[in-house]
Amino acid sequence: MAHDESEHHGHLKLEYQPGLPMSNGKLIVWLFLSTEIMFFAALIGTYIVIRFGAPAGSWPTPADVHLSEPIGAFNTFVLICSSVTIVLCLDAIHAHKAFLAKRWLIATFLLGGVFLGVKGYEYKQKFSHGIYPRKPRSLIHERANLEYAASVRSLLKEMRAGLDKKKADGELTHEEKEQLDNYTILLNGVVIPAEQVASDPDRSSAERQAALVHLAEYVNGSHGGHGHHDGSMEFPFAAGLQSEKSMLLVEQTQLKNQLKEKPQKEEPQEDPDGDTSSGSQTKTPLDPVQTRLNKIRDRLKGIDKLSSMEHSMNEDFKLHLPIVLPSGNMWASTYFLLTGFHAIHVLVGLIVFVIGILMKLGPEKAGFIENTGLYWHFVDLVWIFLFPLLYLF
Amino acid sequence: MSEEQKKDEAHDQGEHGGGSVKQYIMVFVALCVLTSASFFTYSPYWPFQETPSVGWAFMMAVSCTKALLVMLFFMHLLWEANWKYVLTFPAAMMSVFLVLMLWPDGKMRTSNYSEQRRLHAAEPKDPGDAADEHHENHEPPHNGTEHGHRH
Repeated sequence: MAHDESEHHGHLKLEYQPGLPMSNGKLIVWLFLSTEIMFFAALIGTYIVIRFGAPAGSWPTPADVHLSEPIGAFNTFVLICSSVTIVLCLDAIHAHKAFLAKRWLIATFLLGGVFLGVKGYEYKQKFSHGIYPRKPRSLIHERANLEYAASVRSLLKEMRAGLDKKKADGELTHEEKEQLDNYTILLNGVVIPAEQVASDPDRSSAERQAALVHLAEYVNGSHGGHGHHDGSMEFPFAAGLQSEKSMLLVEQTQLKNQLKEKPQKEEPQEDPDGDTSSGSQTKTPLDPVQTRLNKIRDRLKGIDKLSSMEHSMNEDFKLHLPIVLPSGNMWASTYFLLTGFHAIHVLVGLIVFVIGILMKLGPEKAGFIENTGLYWHFVDLVWIFLFPLLYLF
Repeated sequence: MSEEQKKDEAHDQGEHGGGSVKQYIMVFVALCVLTSASFFTYSPYWPFQETPSVGWAFMMAVSCTKALLVMLFFMHLLWEANWKYVLTFPAAMMSVFLVLMLWPDGKMRTSNYSEQRRLHAAEPKDPGDAADEHHENHEPPHNGTEHGHRH
């Protein structure tokens, strides 16, 4: 080697030494890994700032966002196994066992594929609950306010209109009929009354806020707070609903008696839309009383529907209504960003494995396998840090 | 080709003297044990239920140990020459810098919130807070940290 690399400048004999005792490829891979460390440090740092900077108690719990720690642990285990198999592959190459090396490489590839598959399943779970990285698909609202109630109402109306159209065409199946009934009851008995209470200027602001918060709870259940993990929903507002129900029943009988006693008046009185005040009972013509009775009937149906729920509206009736998750959108953004970039890195690793599987492996390929292994171990390292940060904190 | 063969020999002598399969399996078992240990904070035997920050510190320590094991054994750094310090020492320094840099924005972010800012911050999830009487306007009432840390 010295013979090739020395030069003769007259009487000087220069010999070039390698800068570092490793191949260029390995050096480059280590430099690349250091850039990747910076890349993921930036993303993880962002997540840490956002997550720990959120006001106390307002970050979604894993149960809120349907994050399953056992699945995360399984993924961690899969990646650790794949790290072991790639190292054993390198070992086999050094021991001149090319066939065994290829088998280990295929095992690593398969384990990486399992990881991606489980990740895809997790993503699907999030998407099915309306948790997307951004709007318009994301159904997460930050707080229970009038905008939230309005979006719940409009979505429910849309879904009902869809089924109504099918009904007009005469094509409803039995389940769809049931669904249509549910939509109507929920819309008229739960969502619209809540929205009306919330926008009623005559009520106290505590009542109005409570109506919105209750609506959010009915739609999504309260996983983190009062709900139990075995699925049964402890209804925190059951008492309130029951007392409302008894008040409404009393009012209903009153109004019905009123209807029977009063003679039918022909006054075409205009009833302004959205008039919820029940103060129009004393000298009322027929229409407002009947309207009020209709409203009471719808509300009672809604209360009964709610009381018969096991979990929440979204779960029991297979709806996809908007949900209220404080800091939920931030959570979704950071979660999908971190795991998405990590999944892309896993995918790149899998592509490199395919290239390795298609190659003829031998001792001359030890450098390639070693560098691939370095990259793959780095991907495993990132996941080792991501897993507790995202799932366990 | 002769040069490559020589390099291969140096490669074999230098590095294959490093890890054995037994060592790799032991590291694998250690990693699995550590992964299960990180769930220990969830068990009823965890003695620091009240202070979640101890749990987080524990989990970070477990993660750093796992990372160290992977780097030393799987990435072969235990048997590499001194250039590994050129790589690892600045990276370790940078990780410390990262924590220091992010501490004001992260942990201390909400300590100096003005009332106006707190009005627009996310609220804790406990619906019991909504039953309190708040001032009369259309904005939903803010709860801030009146009810303490709730993790």
